[in-house]
Amino acid sequence: MKPIYSLIAAIVVLVVGALAPVLFGGQPYVLYVLTLALCYAIPAIGMNLLYGYTGLVSLGHMGFAGVGAYTTAVLMKDYGVPFVPSLLAGAVAAGGIGLLVGIPCLRLRSHFFIVVTLAVGMILYTLFNNLDGLTGGAEGLPGIPRPQNIEIGSLVIEFRSLGGFYMLTFVITALIFGLQYLLVRSDFGRSLSSVRQDEALAAARGVDVFAHKLFAFVLSAAIAGVGGAMKVLFLRAAAPLSFELQESINLMMMLILGGAGFLVGPIIGAITFVALPEFLRVANQLRLIFFGFVLLALARFAPRGICGLVEAAYRKLSNREKAVVAHP
Amino acid sequence: MATAILEQLINGAMMGSIYVLMALGMVLIYGVMHVLNFAHGVLFMVGGYMAHLFFFNLTGSYPLAIICSMITLALIGMVLERLIFRSLRDNLRMQIVASLGLILIIQNGVVQLWGPHALQMRPQTVDSLVKVGQLSFTVQHFVIIGVVTLAVTTLYLFLTRTRLGTAMRATSQHPEAAVVVGINPNRVYTITFMIACALAGLGGALLGPLFLIFPQMGDAPMLKALSAIIIGGMGSVPGAIVGGLGIGIVESMSTLVVPTDYRDTIVFGVLILMLLIRPWGIFGVRVRGEH
Repeated sequence: MKPIYSLIAAIVVLVVGALAPVLFGGQPYVLYVLTLALCYAIPAIGMNLLYGYTGLVSLGHMGFAGVGAYTTAVLMKDYGVPFVPSLLAGAVAAGGIGLLVGIPCLRLRSHFFIVVTLAVGMILYTLFNNLDGLTGGAEGLPGIPRPQNIEIGSLVIEFRSLGGFYMLTFVITALIFGLQYLLVRSDFGRSLSSVRQDEALAAARGVDVFAHKLFAFVLSAAIAGVGGAMKVLFLRAAAPLSFELQESINLMMMLILGGAGFLVGPIIGAITFVALPEFLRVANQLRLIFFGFVLLALARFAPRGICGLVEAAYRKLSNREKAVVAHP
Repeated sequence: MATAILEQLINGAMMGSIYVLMALGMVLIYGVMHVLNFAHGVLFMVGGYMAHLFFFNLTGSYPLAIICSMITLALIGMVLERLIFRSLRDNLRMQIVASLGLILIIQNGVVQLWGPHALQMRPQTVDSLVKVGQLSFTVQHFVIIGVVTLAVTTLYLFLTRTRLGTAMRATSQHPEAAVVVGINPNRVYTITFMIACALAGLGGALLGPLFLIFPQMGDAPMLKALSAIIIGGMGSVPGAIVGGLGIGIVESMSTLVVPTDYRDTIVFGVLILMLLIRPWGIFGVRVRGEH
């Protein structure tokens, strides 16, 4: 797409997103679902950096999200630390665990790495479930406070209401999206893509493959931590079930559905996966069966997800226009 | 203490046998066609449900129910291989996507058909006990160990003594060369998938009566089997056997030392440790540049 169109699209999305509390002010349910979708979009963006741009599959990512979530929740609930430092601490903790896992495990070949991430996710889940003193065990941590109001003179920005919290999540998602954009468009991002396409060739061209993978993994874990923290702040409770294996798999499915390797892929995937079935009012199990068939179809016919389909359609259309011009 | 160790040893051998069945199936599929089937756990679960169905609704005989369950699963395996996995042979990422899709469809489909609650099935073997010293085990414990030993021996003989088994091994070693000597790889792939799924079905039919039959019953065995084939060495049949039994026993023994809740943590910890020390596994061969 031409840059000008992308810019217009970005502005439209930002304006519509920012106006959502006004547009859907009378429909708290819509805002609720949109906020939840954004809470998944954040870790999905992290996953996109890892899977879409670096080519690594992690099936334990919600475990990292859980580390961030519990860190933020405990700091805010038990120690009264304000929101921003708590969130940053959550991101750092999740990234730190990512670093601990990444240093030894990223040397493994693809399917070994997938299994390790799966095992790490399971171990983290067991810990959330059993470290009763820290995480509240299977019952989780209830009563997590939402961020405090910001007062600038007479202007009060509150985050406790649904609309306020939606705006906060929206802003954080936009920031993370901006981070993804900057990273992917940088030289470093191009090196990441070269690692995804051909590791050996990238290494031969002087790319430090391991360092690139490690950086992507740690950053991706930290972003997942932010997403997990937003989710528990939104739901006002942290529970191990929010970070189990199935959730990690759901995250992967959102990304693949939306289109891994596209900037907007994770957001489209999260909204499609979380919001669409809610609005269609489909029973949960039927929805999952439906998504199962969608995944099979994606694996078979459209491995690049919704964005891939849109791009292919756009290419076809623009080629046809050019062809018309070339042969008047 | 000695009795506790003996008790956990037999429990471990029993669970380990189940993991061996699962691991063998996954190793066959991986070794012959380089597909990592994450959906093997739900096939195990379907095996449990099929055994239940055949036991109560059709045959009333537990051995017959097991055999019918294996046959059903083999047919399911044939369909899955033809329709889905054949086209994804060289694409690990899309294999995972397809497996995840299958898990969703089968697991939630079973919930739709049978409901989310666990089913019970208690053949004679579960109610009768065997006394070993001061300990008592259900007959089913020994049925599982015995049947798995028989299945593994049969599979070994099949792989080494029959033309088809030799064709499977040949295809796994060098598909192009196998074609040259007149093997039809597609036929081999289908048969491999059928055998692997039948083994999963056998596992589900064996374990179902001892525990309960429920939609998630295959999740944990699949993860343990995956750990087993990695510890044993990807693609190695003896590795799957040693890995599966080893994990079963480590898992049971660990309950003597740590709370039961941390059992899985120990198993996955062992897996990660193994990957760090010897990523090509116990029986695997180190391939230059692969790890």
